[in-house]
Amino acid sequence: MNMLSLVTFIPLAGALLVLALPKERVKAIQATALASAGASLALSIALIPLFNRGSADMQFVERLSWIPSMDIHYVLGVDGLSFPLLLLTTFISFIALIGSLGIKERVKEYFFWFLVLEVGMLGVFEALDLVLFYVFWELCLVPMYFLIGIWGGPRKEFAAIKFFLYTLAGSVFMLLAILAVYFNTAPHTFDMIALMKAHSAWSLKFQILVFLGFYLAFAIKIPAFPFHTWLPLAHVEAPTAVSVILAAVLLKMGLYGLLRVCYEMLPLGFHWFLPFLIAIAVINIVYGALCAMAQTDMKKMVAYSSVNHMGYCLLGVAGVSAIGFSGAVLQMINHGIITGSLFLLVGVIYDRAHTRDISAFGGLAARVPIYAGLMFLACFASLGLPGLAGFVSEFMCFLGGFAQWKIYTAISVLGVLATAAFFLRMMEKVFLGPLNNKWAGLSDMSARELCSIVPLTVLTIAFGVWPKLALAFINTTAVQMAGLFK
Amino acid sequence: MLEHVYLIPLIPLFASLVILLGFKEDPHSPAPYLGLAAMGWCLLQAVSIFWGVAGGRIVLPYEASINWFPLATEVAGKAFSYQMPIGVLIDGPAAVMLVVVTLVSFLVQLYSLGYMHGDSRFRRYYAFLSFFTASMLGLVVSNNLLVTFMCWELVGVSSYLLIGFWFEKPGPAYASKKAFMTTKLGDCGLYLALLFIFTKVGSFQIDQVREFATRGYFGMGAATAIGFGLLCGCAGKSAQWPLFIWLPDAMEGPTPVSALIHAATMVAAGIYLIAKTYFIFLAAPIAMEAVAWIGLITAFLAASMALVSYDIKRVLAFSTVSQLGFMMCALGAGGYTAGLFHLTTHAFFKGLLFLGAGSVIHAVHTNDMRSMGGLSKKMPITFLTMLAATLAISGVWPFAGYFSKDMILESVYHHSPVMFYLLTAAALMTAFYMFRLISMTFLGPDRDHEKHHHAHESPLVMTVPLMVLGLLSVVAGAALAHDGFVERLLSFPMPQTPGPEFPRALGLGVSALVLCSLALSWFLYGRGDFSIAEAVKKRFSAVFNVLEGRYYFDQLFLGLVAVADGAAKLAFWIDARVIDQTFVDGWGLLMRVFSELSALFDGLFIDRTVDGFGGLSSDLGTGLRALVADGQVQEYLLYAAIAVSLATIFILSR
Repeated sequence: MNMLSLVTFIPLAGALLVLALPKERVKAIQATALASAGASLALSIALIPLFNRGSADMQFVERLSWIPSMDIHYVLGVDGLSFPLLLLTTFISFIALIGSLGIKERVKEYFFWFLVLEVGMLGVFEALDLVLFYVFWELCLVPMYFLIGIWGGPRKEFAAIKFFLYTLAGSVFMLLAILAVYFNTAPHTFDMIALMKAHSAWSLKFQILVFLGFYLAFAIKIPAFPFHTWLPLAHVEAPTAVSVILAAVLLKMGLYGLLRVCYEMLPLGFHWFLPFLIAIAVINIVYGALCAMAQTDMKKMVAYSSVNHMGYCLLGVAGVSAIGFSGAVLQMINHGIITGSLFLLVGVIYDRAHTRDISAFGGLAARVPIYAGLMFLACFASLGLPGLAGFVSEFMCFLGGFAQWKIYTAISVLGVLATAAFFLRMMEKVFLGPLNNKWAGLSDMSARELCSIVPLTVLTIAFGVWPKLALAFINTTAVQMAGLFK
Repeated sequence: MLEHVYLIPLIPLFASLVILLGFKEDPHSPAPYLGLAAMGWCLLQAVSIFWGVAGGRIVLPYEASINWFPLATEVAGKAFSYQMPIGVLIDGPAAVMLVVVTLVSFLVQLYSLGYMHGDSRFRRYYAFLSFFTASMLGLVVSNNLLVTFMCWELVGVSSYLLIGFWFEKPGPAYASKKAFMTTKLGDCGLYLALLFIFTKVGSFQIDQVREFATRGYFGMGAATAIGFGLLCGCAGKSAQWPLFIWLPDAMEGPTPVSALIHAATMVAAGIYLIAKTYFIFLAAPIAMEAVAWIGLITAFLAASMALVSYDIKRVLAFSTVSQLGFMMCALGAGGYTAGLFHLTTHAFFKGLLFLGAGSVIHAVHTNDMRSMGGLSKKMPITFLTMLAATLAISGVWPFAGYFSKDMILESVYHHSPVMFYLLTAAALMTAFYMFRLISMTFLGPDRDHEKHHHAHESPLVMTVPLMVLGLLSVVAGAALAHDGFVERLLSFPMPQTPGPEFPRALGLGVSALVLCSLALSWFLYGRGDFSIAEAVKKRFSAVFNVLEGRYYFDQLFLGLVAVADGAAKLAFWIDARVIDQTFVDGWGLLMRVFSELSALFDGLFIDRTVDGFGGLSSDLGTGLRALVADGQVQEYLLYAAIAVSLATIFILSR
């Protein structure tokens, strides 16, 4: 059974089916999209019991020859690093599709692009051939461009083109790096598993150059300082569900690439870059949190909080230890869940009030208690309250970082404080204090909104109380990557 | 019977979730009784454990845990997988704290039935109360420092929810944020301390870390750094200088919540954590000394601020800060038993004082003591119980506070006589401001007839908790100190340090001075004539202003907040203007200019050249055509013949 191919290409079949439907049949289009994403989700969940948690090898591997003359293969496979991200992608895509049911204009195209995007994201996490990886990587770009550019906010065209060009600029360097790697192996190969073993033949100088090529592409996606400025703009302009995908999955592609390609294929280059990486991590954490503190737009604030949270992941990665790697991967998953719900929740209020200005509200907790409760929970999870998902992963990232970089990690703790500050301030201004009479008629969450957010909330609590649920998948691979027990 | 001790934090947690999710908001909701039942069960368990320990039937410590999640790590070149146990560790201090926390929580919940009656969010209040207590109980029983820290943070978030319970008012909303952020500032140190501990020894289990610490695995430098980190966290939570600023504002919450925070569930946590990690401080004398001095400074400053406040709850809040300083100072001076003993007795009389103040506020609907007076006849139970608590906190024999405070002074004297004298001064101020509170509230003539007229004793559901705590304020000290029981229960093995012995006469002298202080307080405030007090205030107005301004520490922190906000604005300015608009968009602009230039070049030169060629051939054609006369076939033939012959010559000549 080619399970991974099925998971990946069912959404593509759905997309083609959507394309074949007449555009007036909105219900049928929505049902097709949900069904195909749901089938992909169900299949990926079905893989959970089949996944061997005790093995650090690639699993569910599929291999077909694609372009034999250049030794390009169609190879898919997952391990403890990519499998959780695969699950996150199918899950968040489904959730975001539920959140997209409110889309009214050009429904057919929207769902088409959305499903194509899902294919691209899934492929990135599964591909084990650099050409295939690159194809899937670029495949994410086009749908995202249209999703922001057509269904976005007032400055959607600018945001879309900026996102597209910025990311494409990174990809070009990645392509060069891929070619460099290809021509410097004997025999020439794009096979990622083979390349992970080939690096011993490469000189430090070569590894550094190739590392920088890849790093540029990944850093833009993560986004790592100073390549992060496309993110707030794209988030503010993107429709809610696309923001969710962007924060929850797309950013993870950068970190995944950093671990899979930069660390595993170019260890010398990675270690050479480590002193810069830790500095970038700290800047992401502290500076991202400070920028978030200065925001008046809720969505932009959450966007900058993503910069801050990706900093935690980078801190864990820079620890180069099993705890750090596990923490970083877990933090990716948790950030996906928590920030996904934050964006959905901000979307809920925006749909009603048509503003996201923090100071435009006040006292909403009395008016919309369910909404306030869910928002409080998501905010506390994001600022790392124990018992909710963010805490353990954040702590592991810090543990990983602290073992190597004491001073840097100590500075990063200030970022935790600033994170608490901006979330608390937002909660106070929006939900506490006297009720702003302008919003006296605001209605609480609808059933559809609850359907999209409550699953995320449940997972937020579940992973907080029992982190083993997710860590069990990650640990073996993290231990193997860190070279522990050797 | 200890095998089910893990249920003690879990049952209130469960009750809280059931109340929150399973009940509807309704002033007559039965939800409170569920909370009370859960807490009552916990109280029974805690008391039976304590009883078992006292009777020698239960041998401590008891420990049990399950594995939570694995952490693969490497410490000192040894790779292993740490299984992060989550479980319970019951030792003497934990057994005592269990009783204190469950008892005060139970009484507060009972009292709240009356105090919060008719509140529109009655159900939510009880859910939060149960959650608050559950977090604190988790902190008390946990055998793992990381789990302790997690409960610590949950205590923080519960206090945030409860201080801001009446969130429609800006005051509570602000106070809750202030409390959370100030304690979070301290928690940063604690967080780093935890990271350091794990990096050093690869474990969070308290008994394992203790084992490593006593074997000297930490080294002086690391232990000192960890000690200071822990102290940061504890100073935040237990409202020590300079992080005490949040506690006086925390009274914006409902008064029973204040009682809970001040007596059992929040501020006690810091003292308790210092005691739990005492082995670190024993390995780091500098950190230990810092604990003592922080405690001393806090005790002194807070007591002086309490002297001039007119808000009944604020006096009590300063008093708590000051008393926590006493405990901290004791712990730092090596008085482990004394610090924890005072934590216990203080919980009873401070809980009582807050509940009593709540009863008074309930009756007169104001916090301002200047509008009270003469309430002793109207509210005899409140008056008598609060008087007992006042004598206890002042340290009058044979009330509870006498025994614990005496023990603190003794151990501090042993450590350093200078500290002893400063602490004694704080103790004298305690007696003074507490009796000032009693005088202004209950004695003398009534100053606001309207309020006095409407005042009445609170219902039984509120006075019964007062009476229970009143009884404990009288007898708990003597009972625990009897036959050295408290030394056996709350002890920590540590090396004997040389130091002067506490002369008994000095103890008697302190007691006499306390009585003088009480008498002076009565003389100034108890007779209904404040003229001397006012004259003193006028004479020393500069000092009074500093005290009423709380030594301006709030301003200091507001300044810090302003700095942070400025940094945030600057960071965002750099982000938006410099990085984004200058470099990223500038790059785009540069590219556009470049492409415009190349388009211009293209149009001006390349395309012109191409067009030029086209024009040339067109011109040439037109020119040639002019040479030829139209329609003359012979002429065409002639040209053709010339062309052919020229071509032939050209070809042949090669």
